[in-house]
Amino acid sequence: MAPRQSTPPVVLACGEIRTCLLPARQALDIRSAAQLLGLRADERVLLSERPGLYARSPDTLTGVDCPLPSANGARVRAVGTVTAHAALTEGRVLQTSAYCRMPGTGPDQRRPWGEYLVRPGVVEPLGKLPREAVAQGVLGGPRHGDLDVGLIADGLLTRVLRHPLLDQRPPFRSRPTRLRWAALPAAPGEGPSLERFTLAEDELRTVRLRVPEGTPGTELAALCDDLALHDWLLTTVVRMLDGLRLGAGAAQDAGAVVRTLRPAVDHLLHLWMPGARVGRELAALWDPLEERPGFTRQWQALVQRIRDQLTLHAIPAAHREVEPAP
Amino acid sequence: MLVFAASDKGGTGRSVTSANLAYQRALTGDHVAYVDFDFGSPTAAAVFDVPGAMRGTEELGLHSYLEGETAEPVRIDVWRQTEHPLLRARPNQSGRLVLFPGDAGGGEFATGEEALERCVDLLLKLNNEFDVTFVDLSAGRSYAVDMVLDATAHPRMRNVPFRWLVFHRWTRQHVIAASGLVHAEHGIIGGGVERGHDEDDLRSAIRFVRAAVPDPESPLWSQGSTAQATWMQACDEALRRLAAEHRIGDSVVLGIVPLEPILQWQEQLITEEDVLSTQIANKETLEALEEIARRLTDDTHWGRL
Repeated sequence: MAPRQSTPPVVLACGEIRTCLLPARQALDIRSAAQLLGLRADERVLLSERPGLYARSPDTLTGVDCPLPSANGARVRAVGTVTAHAALTEGRVLQTSAYCRMPGTGPDQRRPWGEYLVRPGVVEPLGKLPREAVAQGVLGGPRHGDLDVGLIADGLLTRVLRHPLLDQRPPFRSRPTRLRWAALPAAPGEGPSLERFTLAEDELRTVRLRVPEGTPGTELAALCDDLALHDWLLTTVVRMLDGLRLGAGAAQDAGAVVRTLRPAVDHLLHLWMPGARVGRELAALWDPLEERPGFTRQWQALVQRIRDQLTLHAIPAAHREVEPAP
Repeated sequence: MLVFAASDKGGTGRSVTSANLAYQRALTGDHVAYVDFDFGSPTAAAVFDVPGAMRGTEELGLHSYLEGETAEPVRIDVWRQTEHPLLRARPNQSGRLVLFPGDAGGGEFATGEEALERCVDLLLKLNNEFDVTFVDLSAGRSYAVDMVLDATAHPRMRNVPFRWLVFHRWTRQHVIAASGLVHAEHGIIGGGVERGHDEDDLRSAIRFVRAAVPDPESPLWSQGSTAQATWMQACDEALRRLAAEHRIGDSVVLGIVPLEPILQWQEQLITEEDVLSTQIANKETLEALEEIARRLTDDTHWGRL
């Protein structure tokens, strides 16, 4: 077999991100972050300090040869590699992200492995790719045995969480979230668009995008990492406030309110910077989310609520615990 | 906090009582996980009344997880997936209650280092997410008991607080057996020390729960003769002495669950409704469960004696 010179253009990109609180009492400084995320000896961890502390591991590649998930039952085998990385924001929020890109058609038979290795992060179908069905299959959740980029993200998360740097004493309890995404090509001449953002189950989110041909996979992944990070922040702070029994006469003492809300102030409120690490073109995809449901609007309301509660509890109890007159 | 539920024998009410404790904690607002490490005879699905949710999870439960066949064990949200009509109306201000079932039909199994690492991964993940995690362990000095003794001695778990509840019935044989499970040469304490636990620390993290204890004062026995009542009193006295001799006397008892007829008939959660409205369960049972659930995290009931 003569080696192929090029692959057809990518018509589907998909990935999954796990986001969780780093299980350590203190946020990691930049040097420790580099240690935690040094997954490969031959490549450096990307570190940046503006606009916030951010560290990203080198990419790892996982070889796959398995059927693609599909919504209509089509069984298409695909071969290639899935890219994954781990990232740490402000030494506090840990994410692992795995994704791959797929061309519209691939060779009818499996090629020598070396040919797949020269295209990192590309998974090629054997034959034609039913891209709409596969996109739906990815977002709906793969069946056992199908290509599951979420498993790769989860495996990487497990690996990072075993690092001896972590003392396993998180400052508060929280739930990890998963965000699955799929990006299909935009109509010729159209810019990128966000077709759907859904909260599927308690901790699962799905995102469906349209992007112009040639949009680099790394930029797409960066956008989705950013969406996942901010969605996790919102979810986590909402749940923190949910756990509080508020109001005059509530059984909870002032100490409990402050104890519950303080971690938000210590660890989370300064992390909100939507779009900060996303390329200019894709950053525009934040706009529809800001308009409705209005991520930043909700965040600001939550922040205000937390500050008001803390202010209220700074007032001596004698003045605070006044029952409202009828 | 992790809470390990152990017993030397089957039929001690370990699973049903610990499930009720999990339920009580969730009612008070804690987020609670219930992990079914009762390999061989998983009963949690029946207690939480989630048979429908269990269908199709045969190969996605805790066995498959520990053996590396699935990346994440299946979770069942009890409030949402229970078929128990009262539980489905999740009480206001309650926390989450999530069941991690074993695989249906999975027996005891032996695995090595990797299963232990995966067990540690799971316990850490749960501890980071839930306020209280109950781990129901197979009866006796089982593989499940060994595994969590290993896991809690693992360096990655050094900062994770854990407590043990040992359940036993109130009879001679059960008292002796429960003491053996903890204090015998290779019991929980001995086995724990072999694995690197500090003996005093481990001992101070173990408390006993006496289950299905007949109360001689209870109206259940009021029809009996005076001779029966006297005999019961004498037995109770003798058992107390026996328990004390076997180092499981009152000072290390976290609570006593009275003999509850409905639990003899059916493993189930005791709700307020069962006590107040239908009155099929005894008030004393519910109060005992509430009290034990509260004492789980009340340090005055724990520690060195």
